[in-house]
Amino acid sequence: MNARALTTDVLLGLVPIALLIAVWQALVSFGYAPVTLLPPPGAVFVRLAQQLVTGSFQQQIAATLFRLFAGFAIAVVLGVSIGLAAAANPAVNAVVRPLVRVLAPLPKVALYPALLLLLGFSHGSKITLVAADALFPILLSTYYGASTVEQKLIWSAMAAGTSSREILFKVILPAAMPSILTGCRIGLVISCIVVFLAEMITSTDGLGHLLVTAARTFQAVDMFVPLITISLLGLILNGLLEALRSFLLRGFPEV
Amino acid sequence: MSPRAILARAAPVLACLGLLAVWQIASLALNNDSFPTAIEAIRAIPSILGDKEALINIAASLRRMAIGFGLAVAMSIPLGLMMGRSRTVASFFNPLLMVIYPVPKAALMPIIMLWLGVGDIAKTLVIFLGVSLPVIYHSFEGAKAVEEKMLWSGAAMGLSAPRRLIRIVLPAALPEILTGCRTGLVLALITMITSEMIARQSGAGNILFNALDMGQYDTVFAMIIIVGAMGIGLDALFERMRARLVKWSEPQFDIPLSFS
Repeated sequence: MNARALTTDVLLGLVPIALLIAVWQALVSFGYAPVTLLPPPGAVFVRLAQQLVTGSFQQQIAATLFRLFAGFAIAVVLGVSIGLAAAANPAVNAVVRPLVRVLAPLPKVALYPALLLLLGFSHGSKITLVAADALFPILLSTYYGASTVEQKLIWSAMAAGTSSREILFKVILPAAMPSILTGCRIGLVISCIVVFLAEMITSTDGLGHLLVTAARTFQAVDMFVPLITISLLGLILNGLLEALRSFLLRGFPEV
Repeated sequence: MSPRAILARAAPVLACLGLLAVWQIASLALNNDSFPTAIEAIRAIPSILGDKEALINIAASLRRMAIGFGLAVAMSIPLGLMMGRSRTVASFFNPLLMVIYPVPKAALMPIIMLWLGVGDIAKTLVIFLGVSLPVIYHSFEGAKAVEEKMLWSGAAMGLSAPRRLIRIVLPAALPEILTGCRTGLVLALITMITSEMIARQSGAGNILFNALDMGQYDTVFAMIIIVGAMGIGLDALFERMRARLVKWSEPQFDIPLSFS
């Protein structure tokens, strides 16, 4: 893909976003929606820019990000290690598979009341919820990736005298990496969603809390600001993950 | 059936029993007022399911979820497939979808409620939004990975572009699409519960969080079991349907890697 095709792609992609904002503006300026319910996009972006430089807003973002990263990190560590163990060891597999079948489709938000009662209203319950929700996509795609590694690769490593532990880290883990990263991407999006929801349900800080306070006081402008912020955060984190992916997968065909 | 096969069949049930046992032991060990034992929670289930009001609520939840999920799947699969096959369509929609994806759909609830009220439409719309993105994403990835040679042969034999999409791309992308639908199903349940928690009017989420606010902890945990059972049941149903549709592409999961 040359540079020119890339710019046309980018321009084409901006069209629907511009259209969306144009429709939004039109709804307001032609009076279809009252300003109290739908503030004009200009006002929202100005408020966002104002808020972004204030310290208190940055603290809310930091609180959300901390929970997001803590939960996501736990999910990655647990998901990758359990997934690898289940793919490598039949005994672990026999225990993990039924558990995953039961726990994966369980809507984890429903567990949130229980987590609140057990872990309290502070960071603990939210981080656990994020970790629980992000865990399963990562675990499943690790398991899928690791169990579809070509047996020939493993046999060649064995023939070369590699110990089974080294095979796990030098053959299976790299071979499963594309699949693991796909799982991480889904897990990251889910983490963004879940951390926000958890903060909406009960919290004293964070972006979700900002949205709920704005909704309770009918400050429509302030309702849009946290939503746009979480969308931007998701975009940035996704971009970072994408960069990490192309670094880790250098040498793989078609990343 | 050999004893091994019976064991494999019973494994999920055993896992459920194991989890309940862990719960029972943990609650006995913690001995906390707000953490009832598994047996107490299970005892509270019949009183919820016997209550007509609660049953109507749960049925309303399921109806909203079914409508939202159905509409989302019907719209997202064609869009995702077209995005996968045409660079123009893909670069048109991709940035917009990337912007929307990380926004928690249930968080739009307060805003949508202002316009559409607290009724069915708002909640169904939120579920629709929540389900459509993973389905679009996976259909897109699936359609992108279709082997070009098959499309070329189809074109050489005179299939028109829309027919190629239906006859070649759709079946070839089906396993990936169904993976997306499964993620969508879980997200639909999550969105359903949270939307009902925000717009406390009816539904399973409403019962759950009202019980939490009123401190009826056995009802809270009983509802968690009911919602969890709904999730597991729907997933099992879906899995059964999936297995039928894409039997030909089943990965050989049951052969464990041998290297020890």
